[in-house]
Amino acid sequence: MTLLAAVDLRVERAGRVILDGIGVAAQPGEFIAVIGPNGAGKSTLLRVLAGLQSPDRGGVTLGGKELTGRTLTSEDLRQLARLRAFLPQGAHCEWPIAVERLVGLGLTPSLPALGDFTLSDRARIDAALEACDLSTQRQQPVTTLSGGELARAMLARALVGDPEVLMVDEPLAGLDPRHTQDAARRLQQLAAGGKLVIASVHDLTIALRRATRVWALKEGRLLADGPPPSVMTAELLRELFDLEASVAGSGARAYIDF
Amino acid sequence: MSLRTLSAAMLLAAIPAVCMAAEPPRRIVSLNLCVDQLLLQLVPNGRIASLTWLSRTEGDPQLLPLAFAVPVNHGGAEEVLAAHPDLVIAGRFTTGTTRRLLQSAGVPLLEIEPASDWEGIRRTTRQIAEAVHASARGEELIAAMDADLARLHSRQDRAPVRVIGWGGSGDDVPGRDTVFNTILEAAGAINLGARDKGPSSFDIEQVLLSHPQVLMRGATYASSPALRNRIAEHPALRAQGYRTLTYPEAVYGCAVPRAASLAVQLAKELDGLRGGSP
Amino acid sequence: MKRGTRLVMVMSAMLLVLAAASLATGRGGHLLSGPTDEAEARLLRLILWELRLPRLVLALLVGAALGLSGAVLQGLTRNPLAEPGLLGVSSGAALGAVIAIYTGLGFLWSLSIPLLGLAGAFGATALTLTLGGGGGVLVLILAGAAVSGLMLAGTALALNLAPNPYAAYEITQWMMGSLADRSWHEVLLAAPFVLAGSALLLSTGRGLDALSLGELQATSLGVDLARLRRRVLLGTALAVGAATAVTGAIGFIGLLAPHLVRARVGHQPGRVLWPAALCGALLLLAADLATRVVPLQPELKLGVLTALVGTPFFLWLVWRMKRVAP
Repeated sequence: MTLLAAVDLRVERAGRVILDGIGVAAQPGEFIAVIGPNGAGKSTLLRVLAGLQSPDRGGVTLGGKELTGRTLTSEDLRQLARLRAFLPQGAHCEWPIAVERLVGLGLTPSLPALGDFTLSDRARIDAALEACDLSTQRQQPVTTLSGGELARAMLARALVGDPEVLMVDEPLAGLDPRHTQDAARRLQQLAAGGKLVIASVHDLTIALRRATRVWALKEGRLLADGPPPSVMTAELLRELFDLEASVAGSGARAYIDF
Repeated sequence: MSLRTLSAAMLLAAIPAVCMAAEPPRRIVSLNLCVDQLLLQLVPNGRIASLTWLSRTEGDPQLLPLAFAVPVNHGGAEEVLAAHPDLVIAGRFTTGTTRRLLQSAGVPLLEIEPASDWEGIRRTTRQIAEAVHASARGEELIAAMDADLARLHSRQDRAPVRVIGWGGSGDDVPGRDTVFNTILEAAGAINLGARDKGPSSFDIEQVLLSHPQVLMRGATYASSPALRNRIAEHPALRAQGYRTLTYPEAVYGCAVPRAASLAVQLAKELDGLRGGSP
Repeated sequence: MKRGTRLVMVMSAMLLVLAAASLATGRGGHLLSGPTDEAEARLLRLILWELRLPRLVLALLVGAALGLSGAVLQGLTRNPLAEPGLLGVSSGAALGAVIAIYTGLGFLWSLSIPLLGLAGAFGATALTLTLGGGGGVLVLILAGAAVSGLMLAGTALALNLAPNPYAAYEITQWMMGSLADRSWHEVLLAAPFVLAGSALLLSTGRGLDALSLGELQATSLGVDLARLRRRVLLGTALAVGAATAVTGAIGFIGLLAPHLVRARVGHQPGRVLWPAALCGALLLLAADLATRVVPLQPELKLGVLTALVGTPFFLWLVWRMKRVAP
């Protein structure tokens, strides 16, 4: 049962080719790390897979539903929203609302037009806050949170609706080492718990250690698609980043050495 | 130097200039509606070079045929000079540019101070009549005015009518110190706006509370649309059923001898409305 | 107690007090102490029912519409400086009304002025949507500014060419904004549009909340942004267009009201809506009372008062934003 499938995706902007014939498939329980140099098209790929951007060619199917080739109705959008959660690069909030309210926004697709949260809604928010270690800060305005705390808050809002798929663009950007490890561990646990997690990362060691699969992107093309040890070889890394690299250590202590 | 002094100075400068010219002025230009009206009565059309455009739309209805026979100007300095005037008469608000231009062209400019009572009307009429070499005719007009006033005065025994010059917008109700006020009093009416000097403002509540008997609605620029007529339809006013009169607003603001005949006309109309006040 | 509930209760109480004061204030205030005879009693009833009550209802409707649309626009644009005038709605309504006055239509049929004002508001909004609908928020704001400029140019042209100098004076007076001497006529005309527009605006709450996270996240949460924008524009055109058509241009209420309540309800855009409407009604009613109480001759116009009080607040807001911004 393929949860997510994409065929021959092509995206062009202002004459430049951003994605060139990308075809991928993903199942629940996978933690997929998308790696590649800047400008490789990682963000665009995530947006297209999330149904937020239409490709110029090709198709995406998520949870059995076609996301491309037709206009999505409001109901389609809401169902999609319940199915998959998306966090863009540098996710932030414009207003200084309380953390628990931010997390509550993740329930938008299931809320009626009017009325406040129900008891079960509140329970879900409490659970999400708990899972991301934010229960003590629930009343704090989000604009006063540190980078790591905001990342956790955004993750909580993505998770509160219990989506089957989580797509995150650069979730580790700007986090200190401890928070980086925390975030990576969370993503790994979510996948182990049955969700499909797709995240674009620059930290190759994290990809190597935590991901179950790696998609390597360069100039809009998929160079490799497979488990980390087989994808992240010295040759591939050289081709990908134009940089000499080697894989050192093994298993859980493996790391990339440039 | 205050405007008053300036005007006085110009007046003094103008009169000798005009009197020294043995010839009476033959190309008179007027920049003021009220001066238009007076000129039409004082001098033959041939001696008027141009009047304001308002003389054709807002002037005294009886003088309209005469007004149409004369070219009009819109107050621009170039227009004035193009008419080759030998005398320009204006109200108080002539622009500095026009004044300087006329001065350098050597054209005498006479600026008239506004007046609001009968004495002021006599003074202004004599002033202008002298400047255009028509003093005799001026005196005729004043005599006719005085005759009208005397006739009106003899009927002062009738009960005065409470009148307010409220046409709908309420922001420009004529107060005391206006020609409107002077006309009304001569016609045997009480101007309810006179509690204020100059333009007064009344909202509908105030109109209701002043207990008028007649509302006088200005028909100024009646040919072109105005907003105020809409407000006069307010249900509260209709409920009271006040009598309404329309009057030529523009000429009711002119300090000229014809104001007296306007007062006579008004008195007649008020008589008609007098029986049956609410 | 939910955040903001106490604020709403306090504002409601203040509203009742001001409403009572509004009915008691006017040049005929002395009558309330007890009319001396039947005629005076009748006059008092007339004043209360035909003048003061419609004025009060109109103040509440217009104030609420302005406050609500200000809150919605600030939520949509994520910018605390947004207000209904931004989209060209107010200037479009002004142009429509001016055309009615200028062409004499207002002279022939009194309802034509508010109706053409409404048409103008719609026209301006449609133009803004066409110009700036596809792009992001910045494009929308710029389109609104351009359309506003166009409407104002049209109004200036009408003033310039008015054959009737008095019309120019009247248009200027009308544009200063006033609630004076309105009747149930105006209330019945404006109310359906204001209520319909307000209902539309209130329905945007959820979408605005989601928009706090930015357009991409909001879309991912199932919000149809194009539909949201359409609802905002249509709602604003209806509510503010009708209000402006009946009262003239009254500014700053839409800017101020959301600000005064936002902090108390936790900043979430959807939760600002009702309190902002209430606050807008309160502010306008207070301003209208002030114009009747301040002993100036001629009477101070409502739009002038809101501008005089609103501008220093606006300047303070800009200064504070400059200080806080990185």
